[in-house]
Amino acid sequence: MTGGTHCPGILHLVQKLLYNICSTINEIIMKRTHKLFIFLIVAALATVSCEDDLNITPVSTITVASYWQTEEDADAALYGTFASFRGAASCSYAVPSQLFAMGEARSETMAPGQLLYPAARYYINSDFSILFTGPEWTSLYRIIHNANLVLKYVPGIEFKSQEKKDNILAQAYAIRAFLYFRMVQTWGDLPLRLEPIETVNPDVLYIERTPKNEVFNVIKDDIDKAITLFGNDNSFPDGRNVWSRPAVNALKADVYLWTGKAEGGGNADFTTALNALNEIETSDVGLLDNFSQVFTEKGNKEILFAFYGDKVEGAASTASLMNFQDNPIGIQDSILQIIGPASGSGFWYLSDLVANQFTNDDQRKNATFCDVYTVSDGVESYYGRVVVKTPGIVEYNQRKFIDDYPIYRYAEVLLMKAEAKNALGQDPSAEINKVRERAYTESYNEHIFVNGSKTQNDEAILKERLLELVTEGKRWHDLVRFGKAFELVPALQDNVGDDYLLLFPLSKNILAQEPKVKQNPGYEF
Amino acid sequence: MKKKQILMTSGRDIWRSKLCRSMRIILFVLFAAVSQVFATDLYSQSTRLSLDMKNTEIKDVLQVIESRTPFFFMYNAAQVDVTNKVNIQCENKSVPEILDVLFRDTNVAFDINNRQIALTMVESNLSQQARKVSGKVTDSSGSPLPGVTVVIKGTTRGIITDTDGRYSCPNIPVNTILQFSFVGMKLQEIAVGSQTNINVTMIEETIGIEEVVAVGYGTMSREKITTSITKFDTEVLKNVPFSNLGTALQGTVSGLRVAQSDGQPGSNPTIVIRGGTSLTNPDGSAPLYIVDGVVRPRLTDLNQNEIESMEILKDAAATSIYGAKGANGVVLITTKSGKAGKFEFTYATNITVSTPTMVYDFLPAKDYLYFMRKGIAEVSKKVPSVLSYLDGPYACGTGNDLTNNTFFTPQYLTPENQHKLNEGWQSMPDPLDPSKTIIFDEYDYYDLLFRNALSQNHSLTASGGNEMATFNIMLGYENDQGLVKISGYKRYNANISGSIKVNEKVKVNARVMYSNSSQERDRDYAYSFRRVEAPTAKIYFEDGSLCQGAKINLSNPLYRYTIYDDDNEEDNTTFSIGGHWDIMPGLAFEPQFSLYLIHRNMRYFEKAYYNGQNYETDRFAEANFSKTTQPQADLMFSYKKDFGKHHFDTRAGYSYYSQDYYYLYAAGYGATSDFIPTLNACSEMDDITSTVDKVVYMGYLGRLNYDYNNKYLLTLTGRYDGASQLGKNNKWGLFPGVSMGWNLHNEEFWPLANLLNVKLRGSYGVNGNISGIGSSTAQGSYSVGTQYAGNGTFTNSGMVNESLSWERSKTFNIGADIGLFNKRITMMIDVYRRVTDDLLSNMSLPPSTGWSSIYTNLSSMQNKGFDFELSANILPVTSAIQWNFSFNAAYVKNKILKLPDNGVENNRIGGELVWDPKTRKEVWKGGLQEGGKIGEMYAYKQVGIYQTDAEAAAGPVDMLVKGEDKSKYAGDVNWLDVDGNNIINSLDRVYMGNQYPNFYGGFSNSLSYKNFTLVVRADYITGHTKLNTTRAWFLAQAQGFNHLITDLYKSWQEEGDKTDIPKFYWGDETQNNLLRGSSLFHEKADYLALREVTLAYSFPKSLLKNVVSGLSVNITGSNLYYFTKANGTSTEVGGEDDGRYPLPRNFTFGAKITL
Repeated sequence: MTGGTHCPGILHLVQKLLYNICSTINEIIMKRTHKLFIFLIVAALATVSCEDDLNITPVSTITVASYWQTEEDADAALYGTFASFRGAASCSYAVPSQLFAMGEARSETMAPGQLLYPAARYYINSDFSILFTGPEWTSLYRIIHNANLVLKYVPGIEFKSQEKKDNILAQAYAIRAFLYFRMVQTWGDLPLRLEPIETVNPDVLYIERTPKNEVFNVIKDDIDKAITLFGNDNSFPDGRNVWSRPAVNALKADVYLWTGKAEGGGNADFTTALNALNEIETSDVGLLDNFSQVFTEKGNKEILFAFYGDKVEGAASTASLMNFQDNPIGIQDSILQIIGPASGSGFWYLSDLVANQFTNDDQRKNATFCDVYTVSDGVESYYGRVVVKTPGIVEYNQRKFIDDYPIYRYAEVLLMKAEAKNALGQDPSAEINKVRERAYTESYNEHIFVNGSKTQNDEAILKERLLELVTEGKRWHDLVRFGKAFELVPALQDNVGDDYLLLFPLSKNILAQEPKVKQNPGYEF
Repeated sequence: MKKKQILMTSGRDIWRSKLCRSMRIILFVLFAAVSQVFATDLYSQSTRLSLDMKNTEIKDVLQVIESRTPFFFMYNAAQVDVTNKVNIQCENKSVPEILDVLFRDTNVAFDINNRQIALTMVESNLSQQARKVSGKVTDSSGSPLPGVTVVIKGTTRGIITDTDGRYSCPNIPVNTILQFSFVGMKLQEIAVGSQTNINVTMIEETIGIEEVVAVGYGTMSREKITTSITKFDTEVLKNVPFSNLGTALQGTVSGLRVAQSDGQPGSNPTIVIRGGTSLTNPDGSAPLYIVDGVVRPRLTDLNQNEIESMEILKDAAATSIYGAKGANGVVLITTKSGKAGKFEFTYATNITVSTPTMVYDFLPAKDYLYFMRKGIAEVSKKVPSVLSYLDGPYACGTGNDLTNNTFFTPQYLTPENQHKLNEGWQSMPDPLDPSKTIIFDEYDYYDLLFRNALSQNHSLTASGGNEMATFNIMLGYENDQGLVKISGYKRYNANISGSIKVNEKVKVNARVMYSNSSQERDRDYAYSFRRVEAPTAKIYFEDGSLCQGAKINLSNPLYRYTIYDDDNEEDNTTFSIGGHWDIMPGLAFEPQFSLYLIHRNMRYFEKAYYNGQNYETDRFAEANFSKTTQPQADLMFSYKKDFGKHHFDTRAGYSYYSQDYYYLYAAGYGATSDFIPTLNACSEMDDITSTVDKVVYMGYLGRLNYDYNNKYLLTLTGRYDGASQLGKNNKWGLFPGVSMGWNLHNEEFWPLANLLNVKLRGSYGVNGNISGIGSSTAQGSYSVGTQYAGNGTFTNSGMVNESLSWERSKTFNIGADIGLFNKRITMMIDVYRRVTDDLLSNMSLPPSTGWSSIYTNLSSMQNKGFDFELSANILPVTSAIQWNFSFNAAYVKNKILKLPDNGVENNRIGGELVWDPKTRKEVWKGGLQEGGKIGEMYAYKQVGIYQTDAEAAAGPVDMLVKGEDKSKYAGDVNWLDVDGNNIINSLDRVYMGNQYPNFYGGFSNSLSYKNFTLVVRADYITGHTKLNTTRAWFLAQAQGFNHLITDLYKSWQEEGDKTDIPKFYWGDETQNNLLRGSSLFHEKADYLALREVTLAYSFPKSLLKNVVSGLSVNITGSNLYYFTKANGTSTEVGGEDDGRYPLPRNFTFGAKITL
């Protein structure tokens, strides 16, 4: 028995009934007494209902009603949001990560790999059609939904420390701001979701796109809220795998540089960006001497914010840029050690156009990519190229991506600062040179940057960003912000004037499921 | 939370200990039933006792005997005087001996019937004339019938025939009538007169006249049924072996569509009654399966030899007794039980050889090389980089050599490799440069992968019983080879049941059903043809070792199969115990308790392997275990009462079942060798998880059958059902049904008597369905997610929907049962309209919500159609040849009535934007739209093939040509420009058909002459369209270096070629002629299948002497031929065909011996 007041459960009754029947059968037969009383027992048992049996509390999941009670719930939901956020930078097999697809796949850094796989070429050639419409936004909005849940429910939870509560909210605002920023860069006007989706009310489900300037207002507002919530704490959390005040300042600068340049915000925005960047300098940041260490040493001081990665959790990575379809016969073991086993990808390569811009005295060259040659009868022939940023480790002859994946790091902060200064007519050479000094080490003297015209400076900054940040999912956004996409992307050079190409089309799926959302002009397939 | 768990656990322990007790009871009943059958006289001979009682009333003596022996007495105290006082003293005497003494010199006679002793008065005035009457009772075939009850009419005196069918009744007065009764036989009454030896032949009750049909919680006479129920013809099970019982239903039941898309032994067919009630997956609307009263998820694990009967309940009035689970129809299965009177021992076996029914024909290597090299050269005109495939180490490249470094054979002839030509290699001039010679080897895909599969079935049945107890034991073994060499299916079955009549009023029965099955699957889908290796691949290297192929998922299948080591197994066990208790005349109580268990376990291991040149040593291993525990209780009362010509038959009760689900999974890698395939060898664990889940269902149900003089029939049914997984506001639902019938032929005015029997029927009912709702779908959920930086996470994995409720299907059905010429021809016609409201479906959500869909009740759909069945004995009963013909047909049409409001026209979900030439506007077609149909397909329509470059250049601009250069050439497809704007784009797609069929059925002929029987069965499904992606891939070389099919011979090659297959471009690159969604691959999948041809012979008794009592043999061909225009390996299911395991064509030899 499970207790006096507890409903004993129909099973128990069934058992009891079974027992009763069997033990009374003999009696019935022998005594032939009136059976009414047994009948009554049976009838009573049969009509007892344990309606409680229908109310089951699931064991292996938590219901919505019972979530959002404690600090732990808030923590778990926030880290869950980060886990899905990391997913946006994770790639599978041949498919580039979402952030990479939006931020770099269309730029001149990429060339098609060994295999004739259309998706890579569709991006590289900006060849959007009904056959291929580029990335979807579903998974990004899911992260926003998760962040919105945190923003909606965490204020109602009692925390021991207000600071911790504020920090959780700041994280959620920062995630939302970052994602809306990437999406507005990609698609322009957006359906704006600032509440979690918890109803099937069509008025809530089906909404129109909000003009991008309003979206930018929300992004900037979220950033300010996050910064306020971080208070005066300008430190980094262990590992630097979640947002911090300096990291959000980097995001702020990124956003204001964009609105300053691409949305006509002008000097006011550049000043805001510069101020945010200056504030970062007061935190614990610096450049590492060894460039490749930036990507392999977790939580180093060049990192402002990076997605955490390890064997168990998986990682964000440049995996799809790291693989050959098949490894060639006759490559040196030392190279094999670097590139690891082929894993059937090899659809994307770093383009010759970009690889050739690295000079041999630039330590970033070997830390960025590896050219592979085969040797047959003493004759060397070029086979292909793999990217070796965030290389992970090779174990059981399989590559395991375990490195953290940077979203903002100090080198970019310096280059953003240079960009802001130049935009405001100030000399950007100090920041550029800091980056070059680390890159060229001994031969730095041959690469010292000297202040030139605004245009020259911008060109130098854009190129430095390329060499520094290639494959980190930024190049396409850079080209659009600097207005150089049609000039520098070979596939777009014939399309000067087709400005609609700077945005991505919306997928057929989005148009079919969101009746109030209309296609970006120019993409009516 | 924690506390609750503890309580639950302890509760379960109690259940477990109770479980043991109920197991003991089941075993006891089974054992007792078997022993009862063989030991009728056991008690009277073995029970001995001593008595020493003085001056005691007989009554008390009897009580002492009752208390000290298993016997009990039955007598009418008004007739038999048991108050006389007697003295009795005896030592170690049997009960009959004691009774002889006790009733010596009285008029009391006793009859011992098993444990029951009846005391009766022998009337003295008749006793003088009374004498002994004896004889033998046989069945119609002349075999003795044991267990027949012989009673003097009007008394309770009687006796039961012995094992030889003999009986002997003492003291039979003249002018009495003896009644001979036996279950399933007609009651015989014989006036004794002056006879002393009366031999009786019992005649079986003819089924046709009073067909009894299971209707859910009981049975009914066909004559009185007012709903739409079809009884499955079990003859179908006689000859063809079915590894899945579901396939036996194919084409045999009107309104039931059974289709196989997969020939893997043991796989599940699609089973849908009347079109199903799902918007998104009508083919997944499986009916509710009830096996001996126990709810089951599938029919997979049943053995056909254990099936007694199957009934298919189709309309809502018939299924509303199953309330919330009946909307997709109900399949009721009764397995065999012992029958009183016969002891039978049967061994049945069959051996089957199978070959594929439909396959693709592949090019010989020579032609493969020709097309590939030409095709690549063609593509290189626009994409020069592909030229490297011509001289590289590829399937059609010449860069291969004889070392272990290349995986294909083609290479230019050199002095070093010339010797291969003497070893069977072939040669050809290079189609691109005839001055050079390519040499290559070739393997045959079918020889390598497929086989003539051999399957065998064995079953043993022992069955028997008497009036007191019956038992049935069935043991089955099945071992099926799959057509693909590594696939197969194996199953063991046991079904043991017994029933005991405890007394005249109480019967108890018990059953244990068990099956163990394991399926060896072809994990790699060798038959999917996406993976068919090029014919020029090396299977073995020169050194004789297996060649691994260029890439693991696209490699030498022989090598691939060596990598996996896996196992999967499923146990299905049912324990059930039931009873029948006649509480008072007309009132009975029928409880049944059962426990159904499913255990599944799987393990998988990947050995270290070469992926091309890479040696992968991950050695991934995984294992999972799942367990479903389903206790079920059904407590039913029935009450039957006649008031003159008013007949009432009611049933009411309570039903409960729950499902506890437990799942455990673990995976790891890093074993140091291939020798241990289990997880213990892993050096690192990758994933370990376990989950627990539970659902509970309960319901109150009732049915009232009323008829007036068997003319006017009325049935009311209802069930009030509750389910735990529903939203808290909607846990309970009421599902009523009403049906009426009129037997016209029972009217006095009916002029045609036996010539024409007509019953008109009409029914209306409401059903529910909640299949697909998870246990916590309504409550929404937060699930454990991937960690982040070592922190545990939860993510919102399901939205709350507290109003989640039953789907409600309302079916209006009218029908008629017609019998002609004394029922030599019978027909059943049903016309129905089913409207399903509150349809549970995944409502697509806008992607910007972050959710792709939510499961909710917002739609409504309608199925309209008819079912028709006909069965005829074409020749008269007197004819030496008997010919039974049966035919059935069904038509169903669906329509979407309502969809969730989403602000789009017709609340459309999905669909295709195309040009409508009628309205000259862009319109959204297909997808789900109010007023539309489910499953519509749209694609580009091929008008023809351009014969000249000029013609192609003059055609519309084809936006789907890849790249900037949109030019088209001779041999390219001319697509229909629907909107006439001279541009081919997605607007130019047209309607191709529907993936779901609308007309289907089957027919069968059974001809018998003397001991021969010939059976021919066929079935058909029409109206469905298949998108044959596989064929498209094979014509296009979609994977780069796979095999190609011989249809390429028919491809356009030069001006004047009349064909619908365009010119071959390697990979369908550039021109996009094949892989865009073309009308060429939308195939009408209508078919007529020659399902069975059997010739059976049963040996006459005279030949068998007395060695065995029956022997029959049969040769059977099944799945013999498909009449269809569709290509591919299966045509039974519509929608996309992306490679289906070929369906087998079987030749079976079967034999059945009865002892």
